[in-house]
Amino acid sequence: MRPLDEKETTAVFEKLFKFTGTNLKHIVERPATEGPDDPPGRYCFRLHKNRVYYASESLVRRATNVSRDRLVAVGTCIGKFTKSGAFHLTVHSLDLLAAHARHKIWLKPTAEMSFLYGNSVLKGGLARITDNTHSGDGVVVFSMSDVPLGFGVAARSTQDCRKVDANSIVVNHQADIGEYLRNEDDL
Amino acid sequence: MAKKKKVILPPQLPPEIPEEEIEVSDEDLDFVNENQEYAGFLTNLDANLINRHVTRVAGHKEDELEALYEKQKKKAALKRAKGEEGLEIERVDALPIKTLEGELRYRTAIEDSRVNVVPTENDSTSEVKDSDKGLIRPTKAERRKLLKKSKKEAKRQAKVEATDAQAEGVLHSEVLAKVEEDLSAEALFSRKKIKLAEIGMAMLENPELNINLLKELLHICGDEDHNIVKLGIMSLLAVFKDIIPGYRIRLPTAKELEMKVSKEVKQTRFYESTLLSSYKAYLLKLISLEKDPSFHCAVVRCICTLLDAVPHFNFRETLLAVVVRNMSSSDDVIRKLCCETIISIFTNEGKHGGQVTFDAVQLIAELVKTHDCQLHPESIEVFLSLIFDEELGKSEPIKKEKEKSKKKKRKQNPGQSNQFLMSESKRMKYELMTKTREELSADLKSVSFAPDINERRRMQSEILSAIFQTYFRVLKRSMAPSSPRPMVNDASLSSGLGPHPLLGPCLAGLGKFSHLIDLDFMGDLMVCLKKLAGYSYSPTDSSLSSLTVSEKLQCCIVAFRVMRNNLDALNVDLQGFFVQLYKLLLEYRPFRDCGDVLVEALKTMLWEGKQHDMHRAAAFVKRLATFALSFGSPEAMAALVTLKHLLIKNSKCRNLLENDPGGGSLSGLVVKYNPDASDPNLSGALSSVLWELSLLAKHYNPSISAMASSISNMASLNSSQAQPYLSTTSPLEAFKDLNIEQELSKLVRKAHTIKHKGRRGGEFVISDSGHVRSIENAFDVDLLKSKFDEHFAVIREFEENGRLRSELNSTSSSLRLYEEYKKEKNIKPNPKQKPKPNRKKKRA
Repeated sequence: MRPLDEKETTAVFEKLFKFTGTNLKHIVERPATEGPDDPPGRYCFRLHKNRVYYASESLVRRATNVSRDRLVAVGTCIGKFTKSGAFHLTVHSLDLLAAHARHKIWLKPTAEMSFLYGNSVLKGGLARITDNTHSGDGVVVFSMSDVPLGFGVAARSTQDCRKVDANSIVVNHQADIGEYLRNEDDL
Repeated sequence: MAKKKKVILPPQLPPEIPEEEIEVSDEDLDFVNENQEYAGFLTNLDANLINRHVTRVAGHKEDELEALYEKQKKKAALKRAKGEEGLEIERVDALPIKTLEGELRYRTAIEDSRVNVVPTENDSTSEVKDSDKGLIRPTKAERRKLLKKSKKEAKRQAKVEATDAQAEGVLHSEVLAKVEEDLSAEALFSRKKIKLAEIGMAMLENPELNINLLKELLHICGDEDHNIVKLGIMSLLAVFKDIIPGYRIRLPTAKELEMKVSKEVKQTRFYESTLLSSYKAYLLKLISLEKDPSFHCAVVRCICTLLDAVPHFNFRETLLAVVVRNMSSSDDVIRKLCCETIISIFTNEGKHGGQVTFDAVQLIAELVKTHDCQLHPESIEVFLSLIFDEELGKSEPIKKEKEKSKKKKRKQNPGQSNQFLMSESKRMKYELMTKTREELSADLKSVSFAPDINERRRMQSEILSAIFQTYFRVLKRSMAPSSPRPMVNDASLSSGLGPHPLLGPCLAGLGKFSHLIDLDFMGDLMVCLKKLAGYSYSPTDSSLSSLTVSEKLQCCIVAFRVMRNNLDALNVDLQGFFVQLYKLLLEYRPFRDCGDVLVEALKTMLWEGKQHDMHRAAAFVKRLATFALSFGSPEAMAALVTLKHLLIKNSKCRNLLENDPGGGSLSGLVVKYNPDASDPNLSGALSSVLWELSLLAKHYNPSISAMASSISNMASLNSSQAQPYLSTTSPLEAFKDLNIEQELSKLVRKAHTIKHKGRRGGEFVISDSGHVRSIENAFDVDLLKSKFDEHFAVIREFEENGRLRSELNSTSSSLRLYEEYKKEKNIKPNPKQKPKPNRKKKRA
């Protein structure tokens, strides 16, 4: 377990910034809720076995007591580095992203199931979309009752969404909570 | 004076007065003796006077009247000189026209009496009585001389009235000049007025025959007297309004003029061309007068009325240009007139078929462009009264398709039938029929009055594009960074307008026509509005803080309206505007900003909005509760109504009502409430408690305290029970209700404090709601009424006092002016001349 180096930090923050925009500041600076420390420490990012974890400082300090090969995880896993060095967000980061998301879409109840099976969001399944979304922005997908379902990348801007027909893709799928069942072993 | 009048006006029939009744009073005699000059003048004048009488009457058509007049004269003279001359009596019966001699003699009889009368005459009524004195009659030779002289004079006199001053002697011309000066204002004015009225009446009686009188009227408008000119243009306006036909006049071309036409057509052509040319001259006159500040108001009134009455007629573009130019006038009256005219043009499109509307909209757009959006808001507000036919755009394509399909069918059908059923001759017949039918329909189209539907559609779309162009121009102007503003600001502030005078009506217009905006523009529009509302992606960019809170709120409202009206396209969540509203709630100040706008924003954004994020709703609930604590009861009530609505819609937010600050699992990642957060999603409001409600339950206003306690009771209800409580009153209604109530209670409280000041002093503090309520109940209607009566009586006395004071001031000033005038002229004050100095002063 080690802190991220500069290159890795850039990669992680760029990815997070796509989803949260200026709210990234809040992710980094928010006070920790775990641990007995007073004043509460910050959250920090740690790399362990190619995975990036988001954990409070006190937790990290305690985790040093565990040997590296025996440590499975610490805090919340938010993504992993691939063999080629790219950073991918995993579905575990959904709660963090949902709280700070800049662009959101809400799905119609009929379209929820399809998304949870790993499909992209079609225009027909779109109930609501945040204003001023551009294609390429990271979008968090919600159900109509405000339960975060997953996240993806917007394929079209809000403007274009008005005009396209019902079968065109609006959001490209990246991760969804269905993975907890589908890929239980990998996670 | 009276005599002078007699000179000018046609002679009246002198009353027949028996001679016993008429006496020469001493005063009269004295007067004559005193004013020898006058008497001399009269001797000079006498011949003229009589001659004019005679010639005028003779020149007139009404011979009977003349005869009657003469007869009466004669009788009167003869009665007195009965038996004096037998010949004279015979002459009474002789007709004046028969022979030269007869005529001459006839006249002499009158002349004799007159000649003798005049020297002593000082009053027109006394002319008859003196005739018996003049027993010395002139000889025949003398008479002839006199007559010759008089004839010559008469010829000269008959031409123009103005020449009579020359004919008279130097002395009396001087006097006359003085007298005329006195008279010119009243007599001339009234004479011209009467003339105007006469011509106007003649015009209206038979415009075809009297069309040439228009030129005369126009001539009068060139008068020097301002009042006459004003009257002239006004009467011309009335005449034109009545005689202008319901169609546009097209002057015949040279080719058409060459053609031989019937008499009637010729007459109509002449009439129309005269009408048109004089109308043109009139408009030119108006436009030239418009620059003169003293005529400005009258001219604009004329032009507005004309444009309103005959928007279909020729030269309407000129009228329209003037009206639009004056739409942003600094003068309230003129501006209002122009705007009302434009509005009536917009609403009565049937009168002119829409073309004028189009022109007007384009002219206004030009106006806005040239003035760089620094205009009075009313000039844009007129757009709000435009009516668009929405069916026009929709129904057309379907119709076209139908027609096409019909044609296809038709083409197919005959083709088939031709091949199999119809013989050659039948086919020919059929073709002929269709051909004639087509020709007929084409003719009908060209003749029918209603404009083509395609034409109308084109016009409407162009009007729309002009309007939105204007609106976007205004928005862009308001968004522009403040670099050139200092200079503009000075100008706009000096004219009493804010830095963005057009923004308000522009936003209102966008809200109204939002359903007509093309979807392509929508994105840009939203970005504009968001920027105007103060949303900035980077915190350093704060150049747009120049808008007031009300204006920002209005931007938010308009954005929501636009979105809602285009809901069929896509349901878009306007996160940015919610952030703005959240921020603006803190910036609101009750007396600086408009409460209505805020409540309107609450209504459109929160109360009417369908779905809300849980976190966002909670944040707004919390902030509204805080807001309700700190402001007056109307605002608080509106906030509470909105709050209640939010709580009903979002059942999860009812956790706020629980007495548990943790927020539980719902609180999300932000565990502690952060009241300063700018983003409602990150405020962590779910982890807080609505303690404000328990304070509000003790609010002094009973309705607010009731509302607050009802909201805090909602926690114990489950979701199914809460549904019936879905209140129907919107925040806006609640706000208005309480606003009125507050105004009333203010008055009551004022009266109350005044009454109790002596007894209670500073002891009276509004802290306990029960106490206040009991006080309010203690007031009975009678006491209130008597208080009001007292109050209004005092006010009325104040007004009366002020009025009297101003009257006194004006009287004393006029007296002083008169004193000065007297000193200047060194004339003994004459009560008749008293009003004169005032008048002169006014004219100067």
